[in-house]
Amino acid sequence: MATLVSILLSVLMAAVVFFYVIVMGNFSGAAWVYGLFLIYLFARMTFAEQHNKGSGVKYRRIFQIVFAVFFCISFISRLFAERGSMAITSGAMTNSEIPFCHIAIPQVLLPFTITRDIIFPARVSGHYASIASMLCIWLALTFTIGRGWCSWVCFYGGWEEGFSHIGKKRRLNLLAKNKEIREFQFGFFAFIVLASLGAMSAVYCEWFCPFKLVTEFSPMNTIPGLIAGVIFIGLFLSLVVVLPILTKRRTQCSTLCPFGAFASLTDKASLFSVTIDTQKCKGCMKCASACPFGAIDTDTIQLKKGRPELTCAKCGECIHVCSEKAISYSFRFTAHCKKPEAKNNFERTLQLFLEPAQLFRFAAFSFGVIMSDSFVVDSLSIIFSQITHFSK
Amino acid sequence: MNLKLLLEALALGFSTGTYCTMYCAPVLIPFLCGTEKSSYKRNALLTGTFLGSRLIMYFILGAVFSALGLLVTEFFDPVLARRLSVYAYILCGAALLLNSFGAHSAHTGCNCVPLKRIGNDWVTAALAGLAVGLHLCPPLWTALVRSVFGGNGASGFFYFIFFYIGTLPFFLPLFGIPFITKRIAVVKQIARITQMLTGIYFVVFVGLIPLFFY
Repeated sequence: MATLVSILLSVLMAAVVFFYVIVMGNFSGAAWVYGLFLIYLFARMTFAEQHNKGSGVKYRRIFQIVFAVFFCISFISRLFAERGSMAITSGAMTNSEIPFCHIAIPQVLLPFTITRDIIFPARVSGHYASIASMLCIWLALTFTIGRGWCSWVCFYGGWEEGFSHIGKKRRLNLLAKNKEIREFQFGFFAFIVLASLGAMSAVYCEWFCPFKLVTEFSPMNTIPGLIAGVIFIGLFLSLVVVLPILTKRRTQCSTLCPFGAFASLTDKASLFSVTIDTQKCKGCMKCASACPFGAIDTDTIQLKKGRPELTCAKCGECIHVCSEKAISYSFRFTAHCKKPEAKNNFERTLQLFLEPAQLFRFAAFSFGVIMSDSFVVDSLSIIFSQITHFSK
Repeated sequence: MNLKLLLEALALGFSTGTYCTMYCAPVLIPFLCGTEKSSYKRNALLTGTFLGSRLIMYFILGAVFSALGLLVTEFFDPVLARRLSVYAYILCGAALLLNSFGAHSAHTGCNCVPLKRIGNDWVTAALAGLAVGLHLCPPLWTALVRSVFGGNGASGFFYFIFFYIGTLPFFLPLFGIPFITKRIAVVKQIARITQMLTGIYFVVFVGLIPLFFY
């Protein structure tokens, strides 16, 4: 029965991939390669989960890392095609042609509410990364996977995901500092929102975004530009490379990212959450050590809160390491409802198919497919064309 | 003074009060949320101190301009306004940082008595209010220009006071801060972090960097 459900889910995902990747990619070779890779990844994840709860998490990691790397290849190549460099030109600034990314959303909302001005120099609609399209994506994800975006879709988070799995051993344990780190993230978030309102500019993008290094940046031909550059490089090296390697955690996502903090606050509106069965939990703290977002503390377990802290990104790492199978995905609004007993095989299959874990993984992966298709197919086309060029 | 002019002043303040929110919210929200003793009365008095100091700075600016013989109807120097803004950010950031390190750090503040004294909540509210008053925003300049049309000093004074009163409704939500901080204890700690970061941002990024390099 479980196999049947896995096959059914994989077929449905294949349909999603076929439409969004292969058809939208004009049936190109790159689109077929990426489409088949996605179908394989999802099928492996679903079958692994049926076999051993939580074991599909490694396929999520692979997807996110691949998306992050190919996103940057595609994004940078588009910048070079349009501007000839990764540096932001004055023309792009004055014509509002700076691509708008999801991290800028929390900075834009409050100034827009108060003054009706959009403080980010991007197009409102029509551009592939316009403000309207990003806001629509944000709304859709808020009501479905919530902060699951950070661990399943975010094309920046994939860098940290990769670096945090380079080392075998954790050399720096931040578990005891989880609470302080969370407070800092929300403090930094409030600072970014208020400072953006005061300065009427996207303060995080101007001074503190580590991912400028792998996307676009202000030209370093002035002293302030140079200072900003040094900050971007320092933050990228420390929070995206070194600390994830040492701590095996996503340090930028859990300390500095304003969108992460914002998504944590709006996550209450999402359909899915992670719950801890306090009856089954033995208090081994493996989940707390494994959590890349520092969302499980000693207090979470000892006080039997029954759920991770606010910053949980639903990555599934805790589910994977829990030997008691005490952690699982659940529907947020029906968590306390009793499941009706299935009377026949059809009802049992239907119940298995509609399990929150299955639906969450399907929704999150679909989001990933839709977000990644054009970037990855674009990058693969570039790589294939380069290989063909050199082989001639 | 005619009623029409006073109503105009109120309407001008009320319609442009969002500018005040933009300049004051980053200072007042973290500061009021992070104060040690949180009560409705103390919160209201601190807000009042801040707003009073801001008004005093406007009168100081008015007095200085008139002493220099500058007519507001003829004189508006954007470079001077920008320069004053930079000083405002540095002064305000320094006040917030002194408060962070003097009164807020590690539960009770540091052991340095002078720092604790200069960084206490009342001094911070007054200094920050004076500093924010240095921002010459367009609505303020409009109010200054319109205030001279009253024909005499008293009417100009009242025009400006009514303009200022018109902006005050935007500060009413601040009176609810103790309601939140008493119920969600972690807000206080988060606000202190925000205040410190805002202080650093004001001093370095919108203060010293523009002062020396723009």
